[in-house]
Amino acid sequence: MNSTTPNSCHPAERRPLIELRRLYRYFGETRAVENMSFEVFPGEVFGYIGPNGAGKTTSMRILATLDEPTAGDAFVDGFSVIDDPDRVRRRLGFMPDYFGTYLNVNVREYLDFFARAYGLRGKERNRSIESVMEFTMLDRLAEKPIDGLSKGMKQRLCLGRTMIHNPSVLILDEPAAGLDPRARIELREMIAQLAQMGKAVLISSHILTELAEICDKVGIIETGQLLAVGTVDEISAKSQAKSQVRLRTLGDSQPLVQWLSKRDEMEDVLLELGFVAFTHQGGQAEQAILLREIIGAGFDIVEFASKTKSLEDVFLHVTEGRVQ
Amino acid sequence: MTTAASFDQFDADESAQSSREDGVTTWFTKLLCLLEAIADRANPILVKETRQALKSRQFVLTFLVVLIACWIASFAVVAIAPNVYYGAEGGSMLIVYCAILAFPLMLIVPYSAYRSLAAEQEDNTYDLLSITALTTGQIITGKLGSAVVQMLVYLSAVSPCIAFAFLLRGIDALTIVVLLVYFGMASLGLSMLALLVGTVAKVRYTQVLLSVLLILGLALAFFLSIPLVGTFIYESYSFLRSTSYWVWNLAFFTLYATTFALVHAAASAQIAFASENRSTPLRRIMVVQQACFLGWVAVPLLYENGIREINGAVLVSAIFLGIYWYVMGAMLTSEWPYLSRRVQRSLPQTKMGRIFLTWFNPGPGTGYMFCVANLTMIAVIGLFLIFLFSAVAKNSPSLDQVIYFLTFGWCYIVIFLGLGRLLISLARRFIFVSMTAGFLLHIILLLVACGTPQILAFMSLSGQYYVQYSLLHSSNPIWTLYVLADEGSASIEAFTLSFILVPSALIVLLLNMRTVAAEMQYQRSLLPTRVAEEEALLHPEPEIEPSNPWENPL
Repeated sequence: MNSTTPNSCHPAERRPLIELRRLYRYFGETRAVENMSFEVFPGEVFGYIGPNGAGKTTSMRILATLDEPTAGDAFVDGFSVIDDPDRVRRRLGFMPDYFGTYLNVNVREYLDFFARAYGLRGKERNRSIESVMEFTMLDRLAEKPIDGLSKGMKQRLCLGRTMIHNPSVLILDEPAAGLDPRARIELREMIAQLAQMGKAVLISSHILTELAEICDKVGIIETGQLLAVGTVDEISAKSQAKSQVRLRTLGDSQPLVQWLSKRDEMEDVLLELGFVAFTHQGGQAEQAILLREIIGAGFDIVEFASKTKSLEDVFLHVTEGRVQ
Repeated sequence: MTTAASFDQFDADESAQSSREDGVTTWFTKLLCLLEAIADRANPILVKETRQALKSRQFVLTFLVVLIACWIASFAVVAIAPNVYYGAEGGSMLIVYCAILAFPLMLIVPYSAYRSLAAEQEDNTYDLLSITALTTGQIITGKLGSAVVQMLVYLSAVSPCIAFAFLLRGIDALTIVVLLVYFGMASLGLSMLALLVGTVAKVRYTQVLLSVLLILGLALAFFLSIPLVGTFIYESYSFLRSTSYWVWNLAFFTLYATTFALVHAAASAQIAFASENRSTPLRRIMVVQQACFLGWVAVPLLYENGIREINGAVLVSAIFLGIYWYVMGAMLTSEWPYLSRRVQRSLPQTKMGRIFLTWFNPGPGTGYMFCVANLTMIAVIGLFLIFLFSAVAKNSPSLDQVIYFLTFGWCYIVIFLGLGRLLISLARRFIFVSMTAGFLLHIILLLVACGTPQILAFMSLSGQYYVQYSLLHSSNPIWTLYVLADEGSASIEAFTLSFILVPSALIVLLLNMRTVAAEMQYQRSLLPTRVAEEEALLHPEPEIEPSNPWENPL
């Protein structure tokens, strides 16, 4: 696959490849998307997480020019999805959460059709088909009918179709759904490669551990509202969540337990297998201050560990499990 | 001849043959390249659908059924009917083959076209298709192209049998060609209509309902085609040699082509993205269709004594065009009143453009004025013609009948379309009114206007209003205009009625002017910076070359 040239070299001058500006989408009384704004830059993988019915697919469909917003606008490489859908489509590859395959068509014919539909001609089309088949490792199955492909292979084919015109923006709705562990790892690698090529990738998934590994930024969405945007650490810090801390002292730990129990920001201070474990209210900066104070109080600390919060923890903390 | 000379001769022959073969190979390679280039640029949907269709069981099955039916018919006729040996039975055989051919052409091909579009929506592949670089027009054309390919394949299956019928005598080549052209046009037209139905059916229950209606309609077309083929074959000898037949054919073809273009544009508009301009292409085709209609109405008048029928011709044309503009107007006035920024970018901006082309802009107000303007033009042309030829024209229908007909027809359409538009505008303050709902609202308004006087007449004790036309029924345009055309202006108290209808029409027209004025305010908007940037990159302005050695380049 050819790499996509990022639209500017200097980070300050970089133009976002995906931009949502105060986007709203109502279906009657249901507010599927409400006042949503975020940006995705070239080379970034943006994870879109939220419970079912949160508005992920709706906002992705708007970006893919399949639906119109009730208010606000969305831009792909600076082009409005409402006013310039044709220009947006040339730059965008959309992989929905369904396959969308045809009967009586084999893998090569399927990709050939979409390559033609994106206006690729002659040798350019053939080159594009070959490179996509190579990238998605479908070259061995070129002549195989689509109906006979496994779910994982169909998913690869759909990713191939999404990339056939070498778009600078990829929108992937639940691409890992139903894939076996090996296929998931391969998909993750493919997405990482695409980001390295300078493409902006917007990806939604329910498998949060996977998203955490490949995403540069995440957006947490619930009942149509974007609750938090940023890196997992940023969101975690912003959310002022509690963290689990374990520490070990030289000698008897009981005085430290007593010392900690007196403090307001501590909860559940326990002595476990020689470790003092407690729940601390505050971020990493507050933990550093606490450590300084413990040492200042004369305790000999040999081990201090704060459990880094996973994306799942952040997600559970930020969302409230609301549905509409 | 010496041995050496004979060898030379042999070499010369061989080299000539080799150069001939090279020539053939080069020619063949060129042809292959040309075909490859054509295939490369062919509509992607046509390529995909053809690949799919040729592999599908339904196609193979239908093709075999057609082929076997033709063979059985041929063998049966030859085996059973002795006439085939003595008489010219080609015509009878052709009817049988056409009946077999009509099955795929009238039923299978159009229904497959409908299904291919409906299936895209059912299988969610339409979403994938719509985000490619294909335009909606290309999608519809591709589906139609696939129908044409299937049509040709079915035709090729029947063609040896048609040749057999020709050899049996009793039918000439011209009749066969004309018949097949009619068949092709009918199948193409039905496929186009089926595709329009496919674009309309977006919800499952609508799909089921429309699917059943479509099958019934196609079955009707199939059963009607067989007696029509019979009549054509037996009568063709007389009318294929008549000039007026070909003139009528040309007129019919014009109507067919413009209607086809209109349906194609309507189907494309149905599946276009919401911010696209879906109305202007349709309005352009409507104007062309009207011009063609008026042109063909004028043709009989050019014949000897044709001009004497001018009053009748104007009246009949007014009826057709009145119905046409009412139906089109009911849809145009149901359009959404706001122009997308995308549409605003392509609005006319010159003074002349704004005067003449604003009415082609999307919107219910401009749609209303577009219909009124066309109706006014028809009425003015009609009045001009009947006054111009009043000295030579037959007085049946009379001059005052035609004048009243044109005036009242104009008034009724202006009133009904205007009131319908106002009602839609009112309803849109509270609920979402789609174009289909708007169209139905117009029809309900017309039915109410026609039905209310009848209900009042029913409720009256004497019951005399039920049987006789009176001014009470003036809200019923159909009855009023029918009585006027049939019995004359006195029967409807035309003079009195004109004092009701003309002011009413003008009031409704004025009431609509606010919206029309609001829609006229739209002006062309500038291209967004990003679009302008890309346009400059894609289409850079040519560098200005110095025109003489002393001129410095700018």
